[in-house]
Amino acid sequence: MNFKDLQKELKAIKGVSNLSLIRKNVIKIDLEKAVSKACFTKLKEDFYFEHCSLITAVDNQPDFELVYHLSCLSGELTVDDTKMSAMIEIHIHLKRDSPSIDSVSDLWFGANWHEREAFDLMGIYFIGHPDLRRVLLPEGFAGHPLRKDYVYEIHEEEW
Amino acid sequence: MAEMWISMGPQHPMTHGLWTLKVKVDGETIVDADPELGYLHRSVEKMGERRKYFMNTTLTDRLCYASSTTWTHSYVLAVEELMEVEVPTRAQYIRTIMLELQRLASHLMWAGAYMPDLGHITGALYFWRDRELFLNLLELPSGSRLLYNYMRIGGVKRDLPDGFEQKTERILKLFEQRLDEYADLFENSKIFRMRTEDVGKFTGTQAMNMGITGPNLRGCGIKHDLRVEDTYEIYEEVDWDICTREAGPGYSDCFSRYMVRIDEMKESVRIIRDCFKKMPQGPTMSSRVPVRASGEAFRRTEDSRGEALMYLVGDGSDRPYRWKIKSPMFTTISACPHYLKGYKLADIPAIMGSIDICIGETDK
Repeated sequence: MNFKDLQKELKAIKGVSNLSLIRKNVIKIDLEKAVSKACFTKLKEDFYFEHCSLITAVDNQPDFELVYHLSCLSGELTVDDTKMSAMIEIHIHLKRDSPSIDSVSDLWFGANWHEREAFDLMGIYFIGHPDLRRVLLPEGFAGHPLRKDYVYEIHEEEW
Repeated sequence: MAEMWISMGPQHPMTHGLWTLKVKVDGETIVDADPELGYLHRSVEKMGERRKYFMNTTLTDRLCYASSTTWTHSYVLAVEELMEVEVPTRAQYIRTIMLELQRLASHLMWAGAYMPDLGHITGALYFWRDRELFLNLLELPSGSRLLYNYMRIGGVKRDLPDGFEQKTERILKLFEQRLDEYADLFENSKIFRMRTEDVGKFTGTQAMNMGITGPNLRGCGIKHDLRVEDTYEIYEEVDWDICTREAGPGYSDCFSRYMVRIDEMKESVRIIRDCFKKMPQGPTMSSRVPVRASGEAFRRTEDSRGEALMYLVGDGSDRPYRWKIKSPMFTTISACPHYLKGYKLADIPAIMGSIDICIGETDK
């Protein structure tokens, strides 16, 4: 698929807004939470994004922002005249009082642990995740340390 | 026979780091697996939020003990993207040389660790003897042997010392001879092939879905390398090829993943030689390096183990607001139930060894 066609077709998808090119081969879009699962399914099935590079969350107080990086490894989506492969960065806005979203780990198995990590450190709930446990911190740990309102028990020293 | 769970780790010769692999076995056959991480979690991302941008290179150095410069480079590249810093051409060449020397050291570290997994202690000593040569080389410009802190935002710490090219060339020549010797010792050894061939198979399509990247993916015959596909530094201008191997049509086994890394080492030697040939004179540090940054940026690089991605958000202060490290091994380990299933318990060291685990970057 042509990289320009990809951008055109992405714009036509419902729920996609603010499409921009942040690097030669990277598209950035905003996505609505309600239609996220349908859009991810389309990205994987129709647009060759067969690899989920990263799922992470940013605590933009007061609300959260989920960031997905999807990439194409098989060389189907090359940018014109270069050997570079396309990548897409997806931002989804989440309200602080309901930090939950549909899981995509049934689409990409590689998303499974990224979602577990986002749950562990940031407290995002992924609906439909097969095994949403903590992954880096021990079971029974209280709170989600990467949230900006997380309070340290130890004395903080200024660097 | 009744099924049961066996816990391998956190202290087990198979683990190569501190993690636990719980396997469910039916007799000798693996039915299910459950990897557990977190023993080495140092909350690097949280620590990074409280340190200034340039201070974090000490943290990234400690992400992976076998391949520390590539991780610092990945971070530095993302910060440069965020701050819009231009790096001088000579610094880019020096970085590429350092990255490839590090890749050689890392692959040799892996090969040396893989051999005892298969009961071949001599192999460990041979490969680690060679790794020593590359550590000597890395020590010359950076001054240390494990945690270099050589990559800086906007360039490198200092220029290459006098005579570095000659010393490197001497070592590369010796190393190439030795790789040919090792071919007889390992690749053509019947015992080595019996342990590695047709073990730990997965297809390229599966691998992409499971988040397996780097040499493990190239072992499935998929021509994917971020040095080309998301090119950085001067990899575009240097002569080299992406190495791929296949065990069969579209799938890999332990042997093809071993061979990809051996090929990659030969390719790294080529890159280093070509860099020296084309390297211009000039400054090694950018004249303008800001302290504060705002906005967001990410860069992905081809680490020795796969796709490394650094995602940074700045809020206009001198510290990152959010810093996310994506480690290739994190997802590769998560997929281990898939490629362990159906093999014997005694194959676990051969399979888990062949994917080149580094827990430092995985646990962050």
